[in-house]
Amino acid sequence: MTNNNAKTARYWQTLLAGLWRENPVFRLLLGMCPTLAVTAAVKPALTMGCCVIFVLLCSNIIVSLMRNLLKPHLRILMFTLTIATFVTIADLFLKAFVPRMSEMLGPYVPLIIVNCIIICRAEVCASKNGLAVSIIDALGMGVGFTLTLCVLASIREILSTGALFEIQIIRLSSQGGWFVPWAAMSMPVGAFITLGLILGLVNKVAGRKA
Amino acid sequence: MNKIKNFMQQSWLLIVSSFCFGLLIAVTSAALSPRIRQNEINKRNRMVTVLLPEAKDFILLDEQVEIQSLQGKKEKVEIYKVMSKADECVGWSFEAAGSGFADKIKLVIALDKNFEKIAGFDVLSSNETPGFGDQIKYDYFRDQFEGAPAGELRLITVGERETKDSEIVAISGATISSEAVVEIVSNSVTQIKEQMRKKGIIGNDKQ
Repeated sequence: MTNNNAKTARYWQTLLAGLWRENPVFRLLLGMCPTLAVTAAVKPALTMGCCVIFVLLCSNIIVSLMRNLLKPHLRILMFTLTIATFVTIADLFLKAFVPRMSEMLGPYVPLIIVNCIIICRAEVCASKNGLAVSIIDALGMGVGFTLTLCVLASIREILSTGALFEIQIIRLSSQGGWFVPWAAMSMPVGAFITLGLILGLVNKVAGRKA
Repeated sequence: MNKIKNFMQQSWLLIVSSFCFGLLIAVTSAALSPRIRQNEINKRNRMVTVLLPEAKDFILLDEQVEIQSLQGKKEKVEIYKVMSKADECVGWSFEAAGSGFADKIKLVIALDKNFEKIAGFDVLSSNETPGFGDQIKYDYFRDQFEGAPAGELRLITVGERETKDSEIVAISGATISSEAVVEIVSNSVTQIKEQMRKKGIIGNDKQ
């Protein structure tokens, strides 16, 4: 019974680690390229997050299943091969079912192959743990990453267009409202500023807790 | 012998999984490629509808047309007859590609029904430098092709953008991208026009 409890507690811990304590973007600072590149609006950010969850889940499952067969010097090669396969599949699915998003994300979908979060989870978690822990870890990290992207993207989309999910929520000054859209927020400079400010905020909050 | 055994021991997993993953990708790709192709066709048709506003239907021409690409390779071109609501031919459209500054540029080109004037082009896919080369997608550059004669086009660096003639004014800072577009359009249009004339699909000069 206690064994079971300890197991459940561990699962919860693994799941929650990705959301806050080891959040890939805010705490581990991994996957910065998509974080900066696709967060100009919420829709592409969400699509990107879902792709990462899918790839992370599949690669963690495969790596965890073959963890006892891995040769130490060939392991990175195996990880990359696994990740590349699922990224290609995700890319094909996007092209087939959401062509508009696929066009918007452009090269950033294939670039998930070199996303550090996925290779980091394969190395740190999946190649050392059983299937259940690997799956939970993938979900925790993936959802953590997606939520982070969505937070950044909502801030940037609201400030740059006054809209959220492309639905106008603040009346622009050109339409008689008070809000002057801040075009810089949809450009790279907005990504850096938003990420920097939020990182500072997160560090402040996390530092206070410790 | 020992060497081979050692090699196999080390790498059997890699070989087996490469094969399995390759198979997986092949199956997915085979299953999804008709849909992806359909998406591309829809996108192209949408673009042509903007260039030829009367367009309603697109009929693939049965005749085979082959052109010499800019790299010197023979390429088959699918030519579409663009029909209006009243089932009259309002123009022609086809895809053409060539190398740009960073990557391949794929265009869809539309012409009027007599194959005499270019109705315009749009970019299906390109990977030109943001801010410079990707201005080939902008209206100010594309509008120059609208109404230009269907024949040899020439790129110039200084001139009027408003006059509709065979001279296309380059985008400043992106001469290579502009040149690529002009060459793709010029090369494909002249060759296709010539072949379609030979085949009697469009009128001769005499007419």
